[in-house]
Amino acid sequence: MNLSRIGVLTGLELRQRARRAGFYVLLGVFFVVVLGITWLGSLIFAGENVSSGMVSVAICGVLLMASLVTPTFTGNAINGDRDAATLAPVQVTLATTADILLAKLLAGWATGLVYLLVALPALLYALVSGDEAPRAGTLVVAVLVLAAEIGVISAIGVGLSAVIARPLFSVAATYLVVMLLVIGTLISFGLGMLAARSSVSVLTEDPSQVYVETGMASTLPSCDGADEPCLSPRPDLSETCMEVRGAELVPRADRVWWLLAANPFVVLADATPTVYDGNGWPVDVFGNLKLAVREVQRAPELVRDDWTDPCDGKPAGEVQTTGEEYPLPREIIGSSVPSWFVGLGAQALLAAGLMLWGASRTRTPARRTPPGSRIA
Amino acid sequence: MSTTPWQGPPHEGISVRAVARSFGSVHAVRDVSFDALPGQITGLVGPNGAGKTTLLLMLASLLAPDAGEIRVAGVDPVTDPAAARARIGWMPDALGAWEALTAHETLVVTGRLYGATRAEADRRAAELLVEVGLADLSASPARVLSRGQKQLLGLARALVHRPRVLLLDEPASGLDPAARIALREMLRRLAGEGAAILISSHVLSELEEMTDAAVFMSRGATVTASGPRARDWRIRLVGDPVGARELVARALAGSEVRADRRSLLVAFPDETAAASALTAMVAAGLAVAEFAPASGALEQAFLDLKGAER
Repeated sequence: MNLSRIGVLTGLELRQRARRAGFYVLLGVFFVVVLGITWLGSLIFAGENVSSGMVSVAICGVLLMASLVTPTFTGNAINGDRDAATLAPVQVTLATTADILLAKLLAGWATGLVYLLVALPALLYALVSGDEAPRAGTLVVAVLVLAAEIGVISAIGVGLSAVIARPLFSVAATYLVVMLLVIGTLISFGLGMLAARSSVSVLTEDPSQVYVETGMASTLPSCDGADEPCLSPRPDLSETCMEVRGAELVPRADRVWWLLAANPFVVLADATPTVYDGNGWPVDVFGNLKLAVREVQRAPELVRDDWTDPCDGKPAGEVQTTGEEYPLPREIIGSSVPSWFVGLGAQALLAAGLMLWGASRTRTPARRTPPGSRIA
Repeated sequence: MSTTPWQGPPHEGISVRAVARSFGSVHAVRDVSFDALPGQITGLVGPNGAGKTTLLLMLASLLAPDAGEIRVAGVDPVTDPAAARARIGWMPDALGAWEALTAHETLVVTGRLYGATRAEADRRAAELLVEVGLADLSASPARVLSRGQKQLLGLARALVHRPRVLLLDEPASGLDPAARIALREMLRRLAGEGAAILISSHVLSELEEMTDAAVFMSRGATVTASGPRARDWRIRLVGDPVGARELVARALAGSEVRADRRSLLVAFPDETAAASALTAMVAAGLAVAEFAPASGALEQAFLDLKGAER
């Protein structure tokens, strides 16, 4: 590896890109779209925290657009050059495979960051149109995470372009991997949550008031010799207390919440320091998304009291509302585990793995050549 | 195949011993051995699909051979590709140019990838553009260059780091006659300075004019050119008289005389036979305007190769 050669190769890439008209057209479209998203954001948020909300919407918009645009920069980096017969002339110089791949990554990354710069005016518009400026810390962290995400997507593209022989397929594969992170994590979270259901027990003094799937709980057999749902006496709580086991099944989001960690939007939201309003609610999109992701970390109540006749030793109707309050968002976030570094780490691992695989496919003198690929 | 006896003293040119390379079930190169000496231009001749490009890719350190040994400028490109690359200049048959870069920028980038400083690379680029005759186009993007001009740029790119060994894959295709002559003179000069040059080409007359030696490849293996065979000579009489064929056939009793456009073709087993035929024709009073081999020696050898493949 040699820094000056990486610099020359990166400069070569950027120079070629900057001399294509399509690059500027795409920049213009990107700018308009981010501006549009920011404007829509301004309609959603109202009150004193408008600008925080708008900026967070704008940054999410930039991440969305970057994840849609970046694969086209790097998804054909290596095999596209091979097709244009410009890879081999570089490989016969002193530039190593690592130099070439890293330069492609840096060039793709830098291009993605240029798009971030184009989105800045939209962010500024968001800043000046609101009353109260969002915290600098929030903004800085969000932009840094955004830059890291663009780097991850670039690396995935470069790696796949070196692994797959045909540019069309590697660009498509890059999109698929990005979509796997953005949508695949959501789908697997949803399915995983339903697959990992747990049964809930209801404690009641009057099973005839509790409904289960098969009818009234009072008709259920005893748990001594039957599967759930069944009835089991709980004299330890009150004289007539019965536990209705398997009264219902609840999805266990708390067991699969980590699947969401690798989602780029979750990483962005989870990493960004949250600002709360006077009522303890997050003021921006990042905070609300973070709240949603952190909330699912909480395990559901697996043993709960019946609403009409709980095991309190008193007859039904004399129910005391316990006054148990739902925790505030600030408390939920405070009592949960941050996951963004795990998610970002997993993404980085995936990207690095693809880069290494790609490097082994691009090494010269080549011993094995990918089927259907040419050398020069 | 691992231990191949090394014949002859080591040298700074190209040595190839029993090299083989296959792609799946396709045996592109099966058994190639030859030497291309420094100070010489060696032609690589063979029909399409003989494995010439695969061989050049192995010499250029891009492909590893399955078996056999390669030395380029005394270095094994498989075990020490960096050292080999510093000594090899490779001009591929595919015209890969960075379309958006100017000719000058292309050479500067290449020079810097070979480790030159910006100033050095800049100077060398300007020098090379003059040498290959592209000085007027140094500020033009490669996109607007013609095929022949791109070819010259490719040649300049191969020469950026003053290589000791030059591998040229079809360098003359696409060049106009003036550029071909310039190319020939340039390669002659480089060989004179001690470089070992290996050229593959289909333009055999071209190759014949500039090469000192030839390596013949057929079906992935080097073959020795077959010994002297019957060769056609072209004969033309002054004024193309009617019945020229009969006149010549009478003078050369026993030879088959064929008509070919305005001239005649006669096959002679060797040069001695040709010389005595000429004497016979002159003695018979025929006004011979043209008497020369109908094909070059390389072309003849190439045709023999093609014939042997069938």
